[in-house]
Amino acid sequence: MFQNSGLSLDQAPPISVVLRFFLAGSLWGIAAGTWLLLQGPSALNPAAPQGLILTHLLTLGVMLSFMLGALFQMLPVLAGIALKDPVTLAIRSQWPILFGTILLLSAFGSGSSTLYLLAVLLLGVGLLPVAWRMLRRLYLLRNHSASSRGMGFALYNLLLLVLLGFWMVALLGGWTFRGDLLALRQVHLGLGLLGWIALLIIAVSFQVIEMFYVTPPYPKPYARWLPSLVTGLLTLELVAALNLPALQPWFESLAAFLVGIHALLTLRRLSQRQRPLADATVWFWRVGMGALAAAMLLWIVGDFTTLSIAWSETLYTLYAAFALSVVFAMAYKIVPFLTWFHLNAQGYFNAPMMHEVIHPRYAMRHLSIHLTTLFTALFAAWTTPELWHLTGALLLFSFAWIALAIYRAWHRYLEVQTSGEKFEFPSMK
Amino acid sequence: MTKRSLDARQMEHPEPLEKAIAILRELDEGSYLYMLHRKEPLPLLALAREHRLNHLSRCDATGVWHILITPNVSADLAQLLETESVPA
Repeated sequence: MFQNSGLSLDQAPPISVVLRFFLAGSLWGIAAGTWLLLQGPSALNPAAPQGLILTHLLTLGVMLSFMLGALFQMLPVLAGIALKDPVTLAIRSQWPILFGTILLLSAFGSGSSTLYLLAVLLLGVGLLPVAWRMLRRLYLLRNHSASSRGMGFALYNLLLLVLLGFWMVALLGGWTFRGDLLALRQVHLGLGLLGWIALLIIAVSFQVIEMFYVTPPYPKPYARWLPSLVTGLLTLELVAALNLPALQPWFESLAAFLVGIHALLTLRRLSQRQRPLADATVWFWRVGMGALAAAMLLWIVGDFTTLSIAWSETLYTLYAAFALSVVFAMAYKIVPFLTWFHLNAQGYFNAPMMHEVIHPRYAMRHLSIHLTTLFTALFAAWTTPELWHLTGALLLFSFAWIALAIYRAWHRYLEVQTSGEKFEFPSMK
Repeated sequence: MTKRSLDARQMEHPEPLEKAIAILRELDEGSYLYMLHRKEPLPLLALAREHRLNHLSRCDATGVWHILITPNVSADLAQLLETESVPA
């Protein structure tokens, strides 16, 4: 009647590994908000240095930090993979990525070839070993779940994305003239936004939507094939960009279509929850998936026509709303849980309950701030460009809000560890 | 042995773990936790292993996970499990 699980019971990494990435991501978000506050609408031009800086503050700074932190946490839980010495691995990737990102942003601003070269070196040192190690462990995994398979494809796309980024930097720095920068830029966008960020979120959602919110599972064949299909289409887009540019938008649009379908299916799953009440994290997921579906529709339209500035800014806003909504949803689930669980596992009597680490009302208030930021951005895109300054201020406030929550959780954890009384779990006799 | 039941199949994360840990803290040699879950609760099992509790997790043909944990080293959890009938 019964079967053994076959899954590993390896433990999650130390809490510091995850929180250090989440805190760094929040600080990058504060920097992105500050940049938008100072630059206003000029930070929305993706071809201008100001636009490149904002995009990379959000992607290399915010998203990469949160996603690496989530990967360190999720790989043991969702795939049974425990990375050896995660603290050292985290530090060895985080610092080079931090300085590499700062140098890359400076290079965008100055156009200095030396800065580009240094940025590439540091980003390579920080990103490639950790991504390779995670990908290799996933490749060697015998029993894959839809999530672990999806994570593997997302990491493959990250590696491709980084290598393509290096190529583009070589073009920008004047070390090579091979390749069309505009075509490569489009592939870089597709790999980064669809193949890495969206696909990792999709992979995680296969497990967490069902696990966190008690919904019906995603259809098995769908969850099994979606990540490979999206990755295959994006790889074909790269090949097309180099050889058959006319086919490039078709491959990218198909990938965007699949990602959009996932957004709609996730909204459907969330509507099938059995509990009538929804906390802030459910609403963050709903906002995120709604924004993703709309963004993918615009993305497909933009692949075949030239979007006006207002529509381009709407697409940019909706995609950012998707990514940040999911990041906030995950952070408000993961941070209180890790704080509570690690202290309980160590046997502290006075370990705070999860709602005492971050109160649900605190997360609900963040949802209001987040929605205000989103609507201000949409309003700025369509009516008053000067409102982008206000959007920047709200974005800054939003990230300061979550940074404070993460810092307080970390502080509480250390406080209990220093002064807490321990209980004994019953032991085997 | 006294059974402390926890049917977590309809509970949202992390309620099952919260409730399971509360029960674990009260177990003695004559009692065990019997938990039903729709997923294998890896953090709970890791915690049981770290604290050297006798534990067992099995998935039945319907996809329901059965988790048994006790401090009693001589308890035959597999046999205890075989006597269970799963409530719908």
